Amino acid sequence: MSDEVILQVKDLKTYFTVDEGVVKAVDGVSFDLHRGETLGIVGESGSGKSVTNLSVINLIPMPPGKIAGGQVLFHGKNVLAMSSNEIREIRGNKISMIFQDPMTSLNPFLRISTQMVETIQLHQKIDKKAAKAKAIEMLKLAGIPAPEKRIDQYPHQFSGGMRQRVMIAMGLSCNPEILIADEPTSALDVTIQAQILELMQELTRKLGTAVILITHSLGVVAGMCDTICVMYAGRIVERGRTEEIFESPRHPYTQGLIRSVPRLDQETKERLYSIPGQPPNVIDLPDCCPFYPRCEKVMDICRGKYPSVASFENNQSASCWLYAKEAQNV
Amino acid sequence: MSRKIEKAVNEFNQQMKPVSLWADAWKRLRRNKMALISLWVVGFYALVAVTAPLFSFLDYRTQVIEHANLPPSLRPAGELVIEKLEARHALIKERVDEGMDSLKPEMERIEADIQKAKDELDTNPVNKKVYIFGTDSLGRDMLSKTIYGARISMMVGLVGTLTAVFVGILIGAISGYIGGWLDNLLMRFVDIMYGLPYMLIVIILMAMFRKEGQSSIVILFVGIALVSWLTIARVVRGQIISLKNSEFVEAARSMGASTGRIIFRHLLPNTIGVIIVFTSLSLPSFIMNESFLSFLGIGVSAPLSSWGSLVSEGANTMELYPWQLLAPAIEMTVFLFFMNFLGDGLRDALDPQSKNRT
Amino acid sequence: MSRYIIRRFLSLIPTIFIIITLSFFLIRFAPGGPFSSEKNVPEQVLQNLMRKYHMDEPMWRQYLRYMGDVLRGDLGPSFRYRDNTVNELIGQSLPNSMLLGTIALLLASLVGIGVGIISALKQNHWQDYTVMSIAVVGISVPLFVIGPVLQLVFAMKLHWLPLSGWINSRDGFKTLIMPALTLSFPYFAYIARLSRASLLEILRSDYVRTARAKGLAEPTVIWKHVLKGGLLPVVSYLGPAFSGIITGSIVIESVFAIPGVGRIFVQSALNRDYTLIMGEVIVYSMILVLMNFVVDIVYGFLDPRISYN
Repeated sequence: MSDEVILQVKDLKTYFTVDEGVVKAVDGVSFDLHRGETLGIVGESGSGKSVTNLSVINLIPMPPGKIAGGQVLFHGKNVLAMSSNEIREIRGNKISMIFQDPMTSLNPFLRISTQMVETIQLHQKIDKKAAKAKAIEMLKLAGIPAPEKRIDQYPHQFSGGMRQRVMIAMGLSCNPEILIADEPTSALDVTIQAQILELMQELTRKLGTAVILITHSLGVVAGMCDTICVMYAGRIVERGRTEEIFESPRHPYTQGLIRSVPRLDQETKERLYSIPGQPPNVIDLPDCCPFYPRCEKVMDICRGKYPSVASFENNQSASCWLYAKEAQNV
Repeated sequence: MSRKIEKAVNEFNQQMKPVSLWADAWKRLRRNKMALISLWVVGFYALVAVTAPLFSFLDYRTQVIEHANLPPSLRPAGELVIEKLEARHALIKERVDEGMDSLKPEMERIEADIQKAKDELDTNPVNKKVYIFGTDSLGRDMLSKTIYGARISMMVGLVGTLTAVFVGILIGAISGYIGGWLDNLLMRFVDIMYGLPYMLIVIILMAMFRKEGQSSIVILFVGIALVSWLTIARVVRGQIISLKNSEFVEAARSMGASTGRIIFRHLLPNTIGVIIVFTSLSLPSFIMNESFLSFLGIGVSAPLSSWGSLVSEGANTMELYPWQLLAPAIEMTVFLFFMNFLGDGLRDALDPQSKNRT
Repeated sequence: MSRYIIRRFLSLIPTIFIIITLSFFLIRFAPGGPFSSEKNVPEQVLQNLMRKYHMDEPMWRQYLRYMGDVLRGDLGPSFRYRDNTVNELIGQSLPNSMLLGTIALLLASLVGIGVGIISALKQNHWQDYTVMSIAVVGISVPLFVIGPVLQLVFAMKLHWLPLSGWINSRDGFKTLIMPALTLSFPYFAYIARLSRASLLEILRSDYVRTARAKGLAEPTVIWKHVLKGGLLPVVSYLGPAFSGIITGSIVIESVFAIPGVGRIFVQSALNRDYTLIMGEVIVYSMILVLMNFVVDIVYGFLDPRISYN
């Protein structure tokens, strides 16, 4: 990880218009990604993690979606203002994505070779034979046995874990600067999950690729990420270096998440903690802290206004009234 | 109950989603404007068809020979008859003026007719009749005829659909729930029936088994119902099989519920949405099939008539009297059009994840 | 693969066998007979006729005799058109029906697919709304309404097209236009709706999102990743569509006076022309069953997920 910031998301807002109103799926998200950094974005389903990252490469289905504000600066250039040709140069080439469900993310009607070669040929000006050789090499790196043979097969002939390896191989085949992995392991068996994460970590370290890892599991980020952003109801509520977040979580939501991870190193007779209640839907949410109904430390001010960001040492920060100066004055 | 749920809000003053399937479906249907319009139109057709015998002015049998082949109009029939006679008179008078004396008696006869029609215009109540859809070649009111035709068509559609649904549910449920060799046998049979050229067999059946001059509506029902249950049987079987292994059925069984009870209390209510959708989409196709047979002259036979036989009659005279074709044709098309929209709307509302969206 | 094709092909034989058997007995058990409408025929003549057509034999002998003839490709003499064999009658009319049916099916699928694609890509734009409204009209208006109404407008009022007749008449291929359009319209409408719905589903699928995330341009995404999967349901609908076109041709051929198999179908059933109606049923079923077979095989080629083991 270097100090060079390659991706900067500034006050990103992505809204969806549905029959019931406007869904503010992402409502003012900002973060930086450094070269070679592994960033974890953690949150429950519906918290806006995936939409944030689809917005980064401008892949939100429009309509009903709409990027209502903010900037995504890739090497200082705003991706959201680019022409479709320019952005296609980046997609799959500089920034590539791996999706949650490997069973449905590969085209069932095309051979693996077709799907990999088309990506490689699109971004690297090499002939078909070289592209296929490159694809086979990537499959080998991704731990697919007998890649020369398997590359000519169809996705349905692969198991879920193997398909995710194919996705990783395909995602890294153009040597991208950033790999966005959207819950890459949650559709897989537990035993396979660890292997896939290990493979991702190994390959991205080797290639120097920065990673944005989207997950709902703190266990996954703990082992892999340098920094963590915790999202709730379309906003980042806490961020910081992984050690700091686990050592001294500030936001009650983060604290709840950490308490609800089962731990093997502490013997306890207590029931495992879980945060009470459900995350809110984000249609027409009033100006308040969206977490207050579930929060143990809720105060009056939480119901009336969204808290500003409070900063701590080591670049840790949290959006919670507990730490805000104004809260004491009210 | 559902109203209370719909009004429920959470801490953020947000509406909570209705929880019951029906409340949810009704909400979706209400949002679909086209489906709502269709519901009204179809309801109107049904109302008119059901209540038609209560209105004595809807008389499809009385023949008024003088009123034969009158075009659709909002004016009383007497005036139209006079106009028609005068037009004919003018035509013949032209010829007579050109010197065709042989037509003179004809001209005089028409003059007498005109005089008679004018005399009777106010005295004979028959001349006050208004035929908004015109009349047929025997002077019968097309509006009444098409309404009574609609009664037959809709009845055939309804009976056909109900039979299909009943037989289909029975066979599908048994096949899906019991499974094993019985399932194999029944589904093999359904497969073979699917392979048969269904309408051809119905045509043969209708052509050969109906007796001339006798109402063949029963044979029509049998013919249409015979093969119509196949699809619903398959659908119900598939639903039952997927539900059979679900936990709530497992729970019912563990508490000692009998097979029959499980099917009728637990499985069928869960497939009812699919059945409603199927029903609303197959009703128009039954009506079309019946009319198809009637058009070919092997559906319902006189004195009964359906949309199909009316279109068939109308097609024979369409060059001179196009309304005799257009009245039943448009009436039928409008009904089928809205029925299809209603079916689509119901499917979207009740079965939102449906794979068979077309 | 080839083993599957052979096995699938062999499985057609019992289906056709069942159709022939079923129709044979259905027809024989119907009231009346081929000669019952002829009045005042001397008893002796009637008996001679019965003997000539082997109608005096027990039913099972007639059945076996008929099946034997069919296996040799002989559909027997017509009971009504006594100068012709069924082979001749069908041989003359089938090419006409096939021409009409094929044109209608091609028209329905090509235009239907094209319109479905446009509609899916322009979802919720005016193009979509227009086309889909036409399509609902298409599935709502029966063939026997479209036919006469087109005749009324384009032949009787505007005099643009011939009222009826066939390509061997003075009007030539102009006679094909109205029947082919009429016959294809409902299937065009259905195929348009079907392809639109399935393309929309594929457009929303995860693997299309993957394709876009890889940086492929939209035309490539559509052409390479969307169309193949999106048009599979249309392929499997072609079987039922052809079946519907055959049934529809019965009406169309009588409305437009086309000398095809459908035109004599109803009349031969009313005439109790046993051999002719059997011949037509056999020909129709073979076409249908073969069509379904071809569709199955093509589907198998297009969808790699279908295995033949």
